[in-house]
Amino acid sequence: MESLHPRIRLLWIAQGAITAVVLGVVLALVDQWITDVPTVAIAGVAALALLLGIVYAVRLYQVWKFELQNDALYLERGVITFVETAVPFVRVQHVDTQFGPIERALGLSSVVVYTAGSRNADVRIPGLTPDRARDLQDTLRELAVESEADDAV
Amino acid sequence: MNRLHPLSAVAYGLQYGFIWLWVPMVLVLVLGGIIDPISPTWFPVAAPLGFAAGVAYGVGYYYRFEYGITPDTFDVASGVFARRSREIPYGRIQNVDVRQGVFQRLFGLATLSIETAGGGATEATLNFVSESEANRLQEQIRRRTADAKDRRRKRESSTADGRESIDETGEMVGEGDETETSETERSVDSDSTDPSSDPTESRRDRAPAYEQPRRRKLFDLESRELLLYSFTSFRPAAAAAVLGLFFIATDTFLQLLVAIAQPVGGPESIGEGTTTNYGILTLVSMINGIIITYMLSVAYTFATYYDFQLGRADEDFVYERGLLQRYSGSIPVEKVQSVTVTANPLQRLIGYAGLWVETAGYGPDSNGGSQSAVPLAKQGRVHRFTENLTDVETPKFRSPPTMARRRYLARYSMIAAGIVAIFFGIAQVTGLERWYLAAVVFAAVPPAAHLKYVHLGYYVGEDHLVIRRGFWSRRTTVIPYYRIQTVSTQRSIFQRRLGLASLVVDTASSRTFFWATPTIYDVDLEDARGVQQASRKRLQSALRERARDDDLGLSVDFT
Repeated sequence: MESLHPRIRLLWIAQGAITAVVLGVVLALVDQWITDVPTVAIAGVAALALLLGIVYAVRLYQVWKFELQNDALYLERGVITFVETAVPFVRVQHVDTQFGPIERALGLSSVVVYTAGSRNADVRIPGLTPDRARDLQDTLRELAVESEADDAV
Repeated sequence: MNRLHPLSAVAYGLQYGFIWLWVPMVLVLVLGGIIDPISPTWFPVAAPLGFAAGVAYGVGYYYRFEYGITPDTFDVASGVFARRSREIPYGRIQNVDVRQGVFQRLFGLATLSIETAGGGATEATLNFVSESEANRLQEQIRRRTADAKDRRRKRESSTADGRESIDETGEMVGEGDETETSETERSVDSDSTDPSSDPTESRRDRAPAYEQPRRRKLFDLESRELLLYSFTSFRPAAAAAVLGLFFIATDTFLQLLVAIAQPVGGPESIGEGTTTNYGILTLVSMINGIIITYMLSVAYTFATYYDFQLGRADEDFVYERGLLQRYSGSIPVEKVQSVTVTANPLQRLIGYAGLWVETAGYGPDSNGGSQSAVPLAKQGRVHRFTENLTDVETPKFRSPPTMARRRYLARYSMIAAGIVAIFFGIAQVTGLERWYLAAVVFAAVPPAAHLKYVHLGYYVGEDHLVIRRGFWSRRTTVIPYYRIQTVSTQRSIFQRRLGLASLVVDTASSRTFFWATPTIYDVDLEDARGVQQASRKRLQSALRERARDDDLGLSVDFT
């Protein structure tokens, strides 16, 4: 099983930090306009959110695993709900590589695998180096073409 | 390229006219507040101007909207200023539906819509064409879709090193009322390799258009079944409609409710009377509300499924239904993703059930690509239909471990505790006495947990996965392995403590947008992983088998 790039933790921590800041700003606005909220409480809530975000990020990195098996892309992930998904190569419709602004700053990118399904219609593998992402995209594309089924929906 | 029916110009003109009417009105109102010389007295001039512009746009839309049938695609070009031309390959079309509202039926018009698997909306809507044109288009598209499929098969069989293909349609013969035995007896392969020997093929060449399809009846909803279906099904939409009406005409409704409650001890009018009076009014109004909603639901179901007919035309299902608004549509059998048997407690009590087929398109009901194949019939018949249609063996359901029931017990207890807490909160604010009586909801917890548990079941069949769940609306879904898109094992933190897992089986049917994705809930982790492995393996072998046998996997004549 392959793990994600360790730097992905920074991305997730950054996301947690953004959430914490937003929470702090909302509380500050509540303090300003609606009712008094002690500054200590605001700071405490924001700090707690940040801490939870860090713990979550570290734990998520620990559990996130993926593997190319002989018939399917297999992923394991999730902190609260642990999910093991198998995406058969025949079901792959197309494969994207994507990166957002923070990802770009960290030198990471994601591979997104689309199926015709309704619930897990897009499966994202975050935290890959750009080279690994391109590599994975190529491999998946080849495997998808190789195992093409004719019963497309 | 063809145009829509000329009456559409009138319809579009009026539609856009009334929409655009408001643009100058609002402009005058807004600008009037800022610039002095503009005043609401301009309305009589502004409104007709807006209306005229709207009519012009609507008529323009009609003239700029074109559609056409080409050998490989169905083309639609539209847009007055920004043009859009769209080509839909026949091989990708899921359903073709024709809808006729009351007014459209008066003028002999119809709305035709084409669904494909992609995107979140209908791919093409023809608003309106004449009734005969709609039927012609539906038939043409259906036929060309079937041809596209035949061509693909031919290509495949030529690449499959001339291996002899299994005569799949041969099995379907055997019903006494078959009208065109020769037609169904032909194998698909002989059809594609030697078209001249095929009577239908040559007829198709001579008269490519306007030919009536050879339809065979599969199922008619009898009056008795229609009535039973109307009275035993409940539509949340009816409740929404009643609430909507209530908000629009609150006063009228309130007066009516007061008038009804008065003889049994309600207050004389709003604002008078004692607490007891109000209690009675609330109770009577609630009963009234339920009755009205139920009647509306019955009427809606009756009107929607009136004269329901399901038939086959070649290898497509074709259906028709509706009292005021007529729907007709076709579903290529090869596009069917899964089949679901539904029954609510009332229907189970009288021993009836319904059969739905799911495709990846979006249906006319806005309930996803799920179509009722048999709205309601005796349970035994529906089970037989399902087994004929999917060729699934009679499932021997396995239950989740009893640990799952404990989980539901805990879950529902938490909900009950929440309800009691709410009552406690209300008591704090309003001085409600004896709030602790709300604890009676705990009595409902064990039966609820048990009922949820006993209706769960799954069966790992030879070629199908069968999943049963739900008490209020029990759904038994038959998923052929070759339709599986992804399989996931999920474990929440609560499930992990109990060693349980849920298996989510995703298919391409969009019905799952409204119904939850087929899920085997709360089985042992080992079992969940086992089913996941088995599904993956059987998906691969089923795909190989299908490629070899050119097998549709479904029998069209299932009744």
